[in-house]
Amino acid sequence: MPLFREGAATPIANDGPAPVPLADWLQDRRGSAVSLANTDDVNCLQPHLAELSLIVLHFPKFSDGRAYSQARILRERMGYSGEMRATGGVLQDQLPFLLRCGFDSFESDQKGFGEALMRARTLFSVVYQPTEDGRPTASQLRLVSRRIMATAAE
Amino acid sequence: MAKNLSGDLQVASANRLADGMVVFLDAAGQWTDRLDRADIARNKPAADVLLERARAESFTVVDPFLVAVIEDEEGRIEPLSLREKIRASGLTFAAIAAEAVRYA
Amino acid sequence: MPDAHFYSYDDFDRRLVAERVEQFRDQVRRRLAGELTEDQFKPLRLTNGLYLQLHAYMLRIAIPYGTLSSRQLRKLAEISRKYDRGYGHFTTRQNLQLHWIKLEQAPDAIAALAEVDMHSIQTSGNCVRNTTADHFAGAAADEIEDPRVWCEIVRQWSTLHPEFSFLPRKFKIAITGSPNDRAAVRVHDIGLRLWRNDQGEVGFEVIVGGGLGRTPMIGKTLREFLPKDEMLAYLEAALRVYNRYGRRDNLFKARIKILVHEIGVEKMREEVEAEYESMKDSALKLSPETIEAIAQQFAPPPLRPKRALVPEVEALKLEDRNFALWLKSNVAPHRVAGHAIVTASLKPAGAPPGDASAAQMEGVADIADAYSYSEIRVSHEQNLVLPHVAVEDLPAVYRALDKLGFAEANIGKITDIIACPGLDYCALANARSIPVAQRISNHFAALARQHDIGDLKIKISGCINACGHHHVGHIGILGVDKNGVELYQISLGGDVDFGHTALGTILGPAVPAEKVVEAVDALVTTYLEARADGERFVDTYRRIGAQPFKDRVYATV
Repeated sequence: MPLFREGAATPIANDGPAPVPLADWLQDRRGSAVSLANTDDVNCLQPHLAELSLIVLHFPKFSDGRAYSQARILRERMGYSGEMRATGGVLQDQLPFLLRCGFDSFESDQKGFGEALMRARTLFSVVYQPTEDGRPTASQLRLVSRRIMATAAE
Repeated sequence: MAKNLSGDLQVASANRLADGMVVFLDAAGQWTDRLDRADIARNKPAADVLLERARAESFTVVDPFLVAVIEDEEGRIEPLSLREKIRASGLTFAAIAAEAVRYA
Repeated sequence: MPDAHFYSYDDFDRRLVAERVEQFRDQVRRRLAGELTEDQFKPLRLTNGLYLQLHAYMLRIAIPYGTLSSRQLRKLAEISRKYDRGYGHFTTRQNLQLHWIKLEQAPDAIAALAEVDMHSIQTSGNCVRNTTADHFAGAAADEIEDPRVWCEIVRQWSTLHPEFSFLPRKFKIAITGSPNDRAAVRVHDIGLRLWRNDQGEVGFEVIVGGGLGRTPMIGKTLREFLPKDEMLAYLEAALRVYNRYGRRDNLFKARIKILVHEIGVEKMREEVEAEYESMKDSALKLSPETIEAIAQQFAPPPLRPKRALVPEVEALKLEDRNFALWLKSNVAPHRVAGHAIVTASLKPAGAPPGDASAAQMEGVADIADAYSYSEIRVSHEQNLVLPHVAVEDLPAVYRALDKLGFAEANIGKITDIIACPGLDYCALANARSIPVAQRISNHFAALARQHDIGDLKIKISGCINACGHHHVGHIGILGVDKNGVELYQISLGGDVDFGHTALGTILGPAVPAEKVVEAVDALVTTYLEARADGERFVDTYRRIGAQPFKDRVYATV
């Protein structure tokens, strides 16, 4: 299955550490790559984040959105800063959402996925919700511009 | 969803992808909006083949399926179920016209 | 739009909608070229409001908190002419549906919507849908605060939310700012009710797990009092719990109401509060400036109190019996003296309920320009509302609406029927609802009789999905299919008004289509004979129970 990372439209080599399923990894803690089912509770990784360089999350179908929540909890609440990969039903039209939730690598065999990935972050120049990606929301930008105008008026 | 009644005579129908119009598969394997041009399967094996053909031609339509019909003495066909009658012949009441300010 | 007294898009909002149009245009192109399968494309078109129905695609256009400017309403008329068959249907969730759209033209239709700051984003799909409000918001005399401010905040937060775009199922939120809940908050996935506590603070009661459909349920209180500025953090927590734990194995058990039912509201509360604890001081907390900036946009038009007793109105009342009745049924009190809220009835006798032609839409826009500060509302009952009419203008508004066929004095009465599109249009339906509504409407057309019968809400759904809200009709009618024959199941005693939410009880065996009018007639007769002074139909039913009604209906049909 082709693997993509932001920054390149062509697949990259998938030769990193093979991810170990969560239950097994928690037992032996071997390797720095773990894979989760979308029903797993990510909180159990809290004490181990420093040991992990790759967390693989799963979409059994592209329409099953549980991994978006797992991703945000990992990134935003738990502060995980390693690679977070989306596997399973991963289609280009979900990329804007996947990126905003903190995924940075993707396994997909959909034609045109790489090209779509190159465009996905800029498909929407405006976002309404704050996520870990740090993009200022429309609300925040409005606040800033109102304050600037208020200062200018003084 | 309303049941599609079963019967001996079947035609293949779908909605056209580009505009959603109701269409039927004709003998030449084209999709027509005329029910009277629909290819009729007269028994189960023929119906299976008809559905296969419809699925093979499904690039321009969405989700082909079989519709049970009845045929009168003059060879006019009509769907068995109310749902398919409505699909084939449209609304059962008059919709208001664009420029009307009173419902007729 | 300089004269709007509700939220106006700024550059951010416009850019987002324009970019969404381009995204969808590309998706349609790829679908038509065969680069996307129907399975892959379906959620994409649904989250742009496009259903495939019996005869064509249906486009569901969002009308946030049911509020429109005249300019927007004119554009809807234009779109219905250019891309559809020149008419539209206003829905029970304050949206507009066009039933004859072509997929290949849909991006252009949506681009036309964007020209007037409208869209069809997330009006379908397993995501947060259009957040609805009370159609009298900002005008009603009994309002604590305008709920639309909060609807707009929710609208932005929920639009293209990256975490909640693939929920187990659809998610519907409603907000009321009045103790007389006109937004049906207790039958929504989440309902928010603004109220004032003993300390004088205004906050939200958060209600979860209500809904109609296959398993109708009344929502339960999740949180008694939520400070307003914490609304988004709380919603985010609730949605995350739902996204994680809502069922995904069975389409019919996937709504949040099932989750609440299965784990209990206490456990639900525990989960949401735990999630919320870690979110409440995040960037989701609403700053007073942000709230104020949006609230200001909903500041009401500069209405000066005027005389409430107008000689011309009084004279016309005596001259024109219809006008007198119309004042009683179609005109509601406004918070500013000398003003009124006018409901334009989209239920003329015998007409498909809730439909308007392009010409009628334009006519209403003209009336709104002249008499209602260019503002129109869409009610949940498939009518249009002119929210700010001066009493002295009522005769002119009445005449103008009458020219459009929208002055039937039947609001809240037996012919103010709510009906889903039903089997005439909808791929999900089991039976037709519009012809049934038409027959009932014709049978009870006589206005004097309607006013004598009084308030009676008939709600008709063509299938168990209950888009006609039959569960909460005083008389609910549900179309079913039995061996290819249309039958109608009647229920009594549903309600969703004045803060009272109740689900109807089935009366008895379903009746055939040709007997529905007789059955309704029998119900009305039973009521008229048994009613005590001042009792509405539903009050009498609650007092005497179903038996007398049942006896008469099944003796007749």
